[in-house]
Amino acid sequence: MKLSNLVKELNARILHKAKSLENIEIEYAGASDLMSDFLAFSKPNMLLITGLATPQTLTTASVIEASAILFVRGKTIPKNFLEIIEECEIPILTTDFSMYYTCAKLYQYGIKDAMETDKENRYDT
Amino acid sequence: MTPESNKLLEKISQFFSNIRIGEIMTSPAIVVTPETSIKQVKNIMKIKKISGLPVVKRGLKLTGIISIEDIIKVLENGKLEDSVERWMTKDVKILYEENTLSDFMSISQKYKFGRYPVINNENKVIGIITKYDVISWLFEKLGTMYIHDDRRKKILEREEYTSRLTGELLDNKKISFDFDIDYTEIQRIGTGATKLKSFLKKKGIDEKLIRKVSISTYEAEANVVIHSESYGKIFCWDFEDSIRLLIKDYGKGIENVEMAMQEGFSTASEEVRSQGFGAGMGLPNMKRFSDKMTIISEVGKGVIIEMLFYK
Ligand SMILES: Nc1ncnc2c1ncn2[C@@H]1O[C@H](COP(=O)(O)OP(=O)(O)OP(=O)(O)O)[C@@H](O)[C@H]1O
Ligand SMILES: [Mg+2]
Repeated sequence: MKLSNLVKELNARILHKAKSLENIEIEYAGASDLMSDFLAFSKPNMLLITGLATPQTLTTASVIEASAILFVRGKTIPKNFLEIIEECEIPILTTDFSMYYTCAKLYQYGIKDAMETDKENRYDT
Repeated sequence: MTPESNKLLEKISQFFSNIRIGEIMTSPAIVVTPETSIKQVKNIMKIKKISGLPVVKRGLKLTGIISIEDIIKVLENGKLEDSVERWMTKDVKILYEENTLSDFMSISQKYKFGRYPVINNENKVIGIITKYDVISWLFEKLGTMYIHDDRRKKILEREEYTSRLTGELLDNKKISFDFDIDYTEIQRIGTGATKLKSFLKKKGIDEKLIRKVSISTYEAEANVVIHSESYGKIFCWDFEDSIRLLIKDYGKGIENVEMAMQEGFSTASEEVRSQGFGAGMGLPNMKRFSDKMTIISEVGKGVIIEMLFYK
């Protein structure tokens, strides 16, 4: 799914654009509030979904080479970290939906689990 | 050394001009006997990474000095089986242990040799002094005098680290990337790892490898900030066949390394957990992403994490 479409479907706001959302294709996503979860079980180019809106989230996304960051429950990064946001090479989005509903929606659109626990009922692998 | 750094060295040394050579020299010196073959000397130089050795007779009595320049002469005109005696320089410029730093400065200005044997009043070689010894000594002195920080002294003292993984020497001077970890702000976690990532990208290193290195660095950096209660350092060496990482801190250390290595073990506080850390996954992650890893820890002294990634 194109990131630009995902923005529309989730009514998301773009906190930081970084690059054209048209060219970003999302195939995998993962959701957690624990940084180590992403660090342990991530896939390159995944969408990182989290309720933890901190600078560490951005550096985590950067080292795992995520395609985009999506905050849930309308979270945003505190303004005093603007500098860190500006440096971030990854688009940052926020949606008002909860973590659960956001994930349910994205799963419906065919976005797969970065941890691959969904493999049991997938035909395409 | 450049002329500028020579000048700087002279300036700083003035403050310490009365310090005795005996306090600065490297002691004991690595020495050879006149009967030693040039081939052996060459090997000693290679292994010990030194460029010259005093030649001594029984009782460590000085009779000459053999240096890289002499070895080159042998390669041009002689045989590696020749004895040191044939090729050594007999007219050796020396310093006495009670000579001072200012004596060293004037002799090294006059002769421009790399090293001077230090002898006592019985003509016995008790050490050797090079500009490098002077610089290290000064650094240590300045470190304790002006910085008043023992931890910093430790870094300055340790010029090299012997890999616990391969036994190789990881030389401070060959470091490709280094970073000081600021432990005062949890929000700064990952600054070093992302910097290292862009550095490795610029070097054109394989993306998958970069990812493994940056994730592991991130975890180690997080641990320094969250657990160590001390500042820390990230060092990276980019070798031909591997990437080597050293992350060290000078903090409280890990009490039980085996326990800490277990998935899910964490001593992180509630506050740290609310910041997304403390799942007890960091050390296991480092183990998972690196090809080799070791933890050296001493309670009250700090933690060193060494990791190796094959290219
Ligand atoms: N540099 C360090 N100094 C002191 N203690 C440490 C250090 N690194 C790790 N520890 C100890 O080892 C434990 C396990 O570390 P590990 O990185 O595996 O988990 P964590 O940091 O607690 O959680 P996570 O990494 O998942 O956020 C820590 O909780 C801490 O007690
Ligand atoms: Mg950790």
